[in-house]
Amino acid sequence: MTTSSEDVLLQVPQVRYKKGDGTLFLMDQRLIWMVENRDTVAVSHSYADIKSQKISPEGKVKVQLQVVLHNGVSSTFHFTNRNGLQAQLADRDKVKEMLQTLLPKFKRKVDRELEEKNKLLSSNPALLQLYKDLVMTEVVTSEEFWVQHASQYTQKQKQQPQDIGVSGAFLADIKPQTDGCNGLKYNITPDIIECIFKTYPAVKKKYVENVPTKLSESQFWTKFFQSHYFHRDRKYAESKDLFTECGKIDDQEMKRDIQTGVDDPLVNITEFEDKTLDEGYGVANEKTNVTSGTVSQAMIKRFNQHSIMVLKATKKQENSEAEAKNVPKQNGNVSEEKPDDGHVAKKQRIQSKITYEDLDSPSASSSGGPSLSLSKVERYLHGPMPDSNVEQLNPNEASSVLRGVLQETRQWQSRHPSTSLVTPAAAVGALGELSPGGALMRGFQEQSLAQLVPADIENEVRNLYLALCELLSHFWKCFPPSTPTMEQKAVKMHEALHRYHTAKLKPFEDKLIRELSPLSHHLTKHLNQLLNAAYQKFSNWQKIKNR
Amino acid sequence: MVDEEEQKEYRWETGYEKTWEAIKEDDDGFLEASVADIIQRAKRKRQAQKQGNSKLGMMRHLYVILDCSDSMSSQDLKPTRLLCTVKIMENFIEEFFDQNPISQMGIIIMHNKRAEKISDLAGNARKHIKAINNLKQTSLIGEPSLQNSLEMALRALKLLPSHASREILVVMGSLTTCDPGDINTTILNLKSEGVRCSVIGLAAEVHVCRRLANETGGLYNVILDDCHFKDLLYQQVDPPPAALTLESNLIKMGFPHQMSVEGTEEPLTMCMCHVDSTDEGSKLNTGGYYCPQCYSKYCELPVECRACGLTLVSAPHLARSYHHLFPAANYDEITYENQTLICFACQKNFSETDKQVYRCPNCTKIFCINCDIFVHDILHTCPGCATNLSTFQIAHNTTQ
Repeated sequence: MTTSSEDVLLQVPQVRYKKGDGTLFLMDQRLIWMVENRDTVAVSHSYADIKSQKISPEGKVKVQLQVVLHNGVSSTFHFTNRNGLQAQLADRDKVKEMLQTLLPKFKRKVDRELEEKNKLLSSNPALLQLYKDLVMTEVVTSEEFWVQHASQYTQKQKQQPQDIGVSGAFLADIKPQTDGCNGLKYNITPDIIECIFKTYPAVKKKYVENVPTKLSESQFWTKFFQSHYFHRDRKYAESKDLFTECGKIDDQEMKRDIQTGVDDPLVNITEFEDKTLDEGYGVANEKTNVTSGTVSQAMIKRFNQHSIMVLKATKKQENSEAEAKNVPKQNGNVSEEKPDDGHVAKKQRIQSKITYEDLDSPSASSSGGPSLSLSKVERYLHGPMPDSNVEQLNPNEASSVLRGVLQETRQWQSRHPSTSLVTPAAAVGALGELSPGGALMRGFQEQSLAQLVPADIENEVRNLYLALCELLSHFWKCFPPSTPTMEQKAVKMHEALHRYHTAKLKPFEDKLIRELSPLSHHLTKHLNQLLNAAYQKFSNWQKIKNR
Repeated sequence: MVDEEEQKEYRWETGYEKTWEAIKEDDDGFLEASVADIIQRAKRKRQAQKQGNSKLGMMRHLYVILDCSDSMSSQDLKPTRLLCTVKIMENFIEEFFDQNPISQMGIIIMHNKRAEKISDLAGNARKHIKAINNLKQTSLIGEPSLQNSLEMALRALKLLPSHASREILVVMGSLTTCDPGDINTTILNLKSEGVRCSVIGLAAEVHVCRRLANETGGLYNVILDDCHFKDLLYQQVDPPPAALTLESNLIKMGFPHQMSVEGTEEPLTMCMCHVDSTDEGSKLNTGGYYCPQCYSKYCELPVECRACGLTLVSAPHLARSYHHLFPAANYDEITYENQTLICFACQKNFSETDKQVYRCPNCTKIFCINCDIFVHDILHTCPGCATNLSTFQIAHNTTQ
């Protein structure tokens, strides 16, 4: 634990610890005490481990300072300055003050993790129960618990928030509300802020520069909405606003975009021409100049700009990803193929735009997927046939059986309505067997037995099942073990199951025997069965492995 | 033109039919009857196309993506699109698990440009129905994001083993989608992972949805009214043809039994399916199914064992999937010429109004139209073939 260069912040000689004289050093990461005249460090506590410090009350002869660690260990230092009580008090106070300033810096890291864990436990009662059952009884260690069993809960928090798209109307949707006295209130959510940053990177830059150093967040947004940048008439040449620069940057971008032009010949509107005259005739068209300056021109320009920026906002991400993938492919060939590709691609694209699949005649329907090849279909239609227990009746026997049946059924018509009843004793016996608790009504007995079980015992049984289910799911996941780590995990889980058996199950059984003797066997039979099945699997696996 | 005039007859002579009257309004001016007719005809066409002997993806893992944006509060489906969808979805979920007992379903909603998973992949119908019912309370705001929800479903479907069929069904009420990136890359990803996406549109046809369905091999339809919606949704209940990336594997399954030993009493045990649920915890009782590998108890099947991960089913569940592989033969429609007096299945007398009767190609018995629909939709066995010893349990050769 030695850092390469430790600064000694405070050195206090004549401090006793456990009946030995020595010197107390306060370093920047930890606190150490060395025995007098020796160079070895006897006691070392890092500030992160220290939970709190205590001082002996005023008026006591012994001036002491106790340091309590998170794990409960405490060390007491006795200040024995030979110059008297005052000096001792002064020493101790110096140490105390120094610790008070240092400890909070280290405390925060450890606490946050614990806080998170506490929050998780308090919000999930099932998890809390599992924790109590498994960790408190030392069936599973605390780290294992958090890594294995609580992993799905901890991961939920780490999920990345989703990226959202920019809808074209996001600025228009921020409807301002009048607040009575000639003012407007704009409500913006974090979503809208994210959209603004994505679409107008210049605004994002300004935000990063000014908040929170020069302006507060609400002031920034107020200025944003007030500035002419946001409003329709962008005569920003005169006003000196935070956002005039943004306007200029946007204009420059637009000019650059117009100059690069559009690659795709099918979409490039400026190149579209209707030529009614053949080559060699007519005069070349003159491109009219667009006069700028009217209000409608400015508005159209703003609309176009807004649309371009919204589209660009989504494209930026894609480009950076695509570039990363294309870098290794840089050959000279790529650029040579382009002109040929362009031609073929253009033809294909025009072709695809003029054909509609729906209007084509339905093609001879494809067989809709791979066909099933079954070798013996009858096997699917019958159950498993026993080997040859079929009795073969020859036709003579069959007809004699048939004759016998016909004779029997003819006699049925001559039966007179039966007036002979069952004997009373037999009737009562049958009634008894069919009422709840009788020989033929097995199920009810157990249901009534279940009601005899008090609710808290039932809860305990449920918690036992919960903990066991958790352990078993990890145990069975290791089979069949394909890697050495899985084998080790299987062994560890097996041991954990044994520990669970002794730590939780047996005491519960004993408790039941003492309190409710008739039920004890019933309630835990199934739990034992579950455990035995797991033990059996493990021992089988061991046997196979050792063969 | 001249020829036609010569053949012209007056309508009162019922000489010719006006073909534009195929879609008719009935007395009250509604088009319902004609829509029902369209549905019926489409159904018969689908039935005729069904053939046995094709490989199907039967262990289906389906993600249903529902649109919960503000276009779903429109009232063109009564009372609102969302409530109508919820109602029809409940029935669909039950029917789905009825016909595909070894499948799993999950539900995602598109809400305020984000996707939210409201129900994980599971084989329990009740849980999903409960989650869907809770949707009635969600507020419908914002625009849907098709890409986010497809990505979320894909992330979960990627982890599945290769013998499972991966499907997504999108119910899209809005005409727009607001995505953070290029949806074409998402479509390519779905195609390479072999996920079959179908879309049901509630408003109009959208090019992106058409591309999505075509590229991944799914179906895309736009509804006409709520009956049509139900029909389109139920189309998805039948297992689709197997994707090319589907591998055939041996799958381990457990067939649990009740643990009753003669003579001794059954022990009181607790089930594992409710052991950690907060509202109704497990109770001690005697009935239930025990996993053959680890002996944990479950209240209902089919289920995946929580302790050992084994899929537990009962034989009837698997048998219920058979009729997809070996469907009952399609009946031929023939005109009634007094071949028999009664329908073989329901024994009703054929009368003047029955112009078409149906004959089974295997056992050549005659059936009426209602029995034809009943046999093919619900029963899946031809009564003529089943009661005839010589044709019983012979695989139908339906190579067409």
